[in-house]
Amino acid sequence: MKPLLNGLLVFMLLYFIADFFVVNATLGLVSEDIKMTLFGNIDEFIDPMDKSVFLEYLHGQIFFIMMILLTLSTVYARLCSIKRYSIIVINILMISALLSLTTLFISYFYIPNLVGVYIFSFFIWHIIAFIMALHSLWNLNFATSI
Amino acid sequence: MQQAYRYAVLYFLLFSLLLLGSSLLLFEDKIGLSVTAVLQYYLGNEEKFLVEKSWLTILKIILPHIFAFGLFFMVLLHFILFTKYKKSKQFIKLSYAIFIVGFLELSSPYFIIIGLDFFAYVKLISFILLELLLLYTLWLLLASIYKH
Repeated sequence: MKPLLNGLLVFMLLYFIADFFVVNATLGLVSEDIKMTLFGNIDEFIDPMDKSVFLEYLHGQIFFIMMILLTLSTVYARLCSIKRYSIIVINILMISALLSLTTLFISYFYIPNLVGVYIFSFFIWHIIAFIMALHSLWNLNFATSI
Repeated sequence: MQQAYRYAVLYFLLFSLLLLGSSLLLFEDKIGLSVTAVLQYYLGNEEKFLVEKSWLTILKIILPHIFAFGLFFMVLLHFILFTKYKKSKQFIKLSYAIFIVGFLELSSPYFIIIGLDFFAYVKLISFILLELLLLYTLWLLLASIYKH
C-alpha cells in the first residue's frame, strides 16, 4: 500500500503546483487579471468570458476539486495521527474550496468585487492541500506510529 | 465510519450539489430545457446560428462525461455501503437506475441526429431523471450522516 500512496501523493503535489500555472494562464491569479478575463476590457478590446464557457469551466473545476479533495482527505484522515487536528484541517480545506467555487460564481453573475474572496480562498485551499499532501507523505514514510 | 471520513463524505456531497446545480445551468444555457430546444441544438437552426452537430462533435462532448459519470456514480453509490441501505433492494435498483439513465442521457443525441426526434424527449427526461436520482442518493447519504 505504501508505494501506491506515495505515488498518489506525489501526483497530487504536482497537480496543486500545475494548477497554479494553469489558472494563472486561463483565469488569472490577481484581481485585475480575473476581472479582465471574466468581464473583458473595452479599452483593450478584450471580450468578456462567454456565459457557457464560464459555466463549462466552473463545472469542470467542481468535478476535479471534489474528486481530488475527497481522495486527499481520506488519505490524510488515515495517515494523520491526531484525529481532532485532522478534522479541523479537513474542514478548513473543504470550506475554503467550496467558498472559492461559490464566490467565483457569484462574482461572475452578481458581485464582481467578490473576486478578492475567490483569490483568498483559492490560495488557502491550495496551500492547505499542499501541506496536507506533504504531511501525509512524511507520516507515511517517516512516522513510526502509523 | 470514522469522524474525519464522515466530514470528507459530507463535503463531497456538498460539492456534488454544486456539480448538479452547475450541470443544470449549463444544460439550460447551452441546450435549453424544452424538446424544441434540444432538437434545434442537435439538428441546427439557422435563425439561432446553431450548426448541426456531427457524430464526432457529440463524441467529443460525451467522451469526458463517460469517464466522469462512471467515476462519480461509483464513488457516490459506494458511500451507501456504509449506511443501513447497503443490503436493501432499493440500493440495487437505485444503482441500476442511475447507470442506465446516465447511459441514456449520453447516448440519446446519436439517435436524434439519425432522425429519431422522439429521442429529444429521452434526452430531456433522462437528464432530469438523472438529476433527481442523484439528488435522492445525496439525500439518503446526508440523512445517514445526520443521524450519526
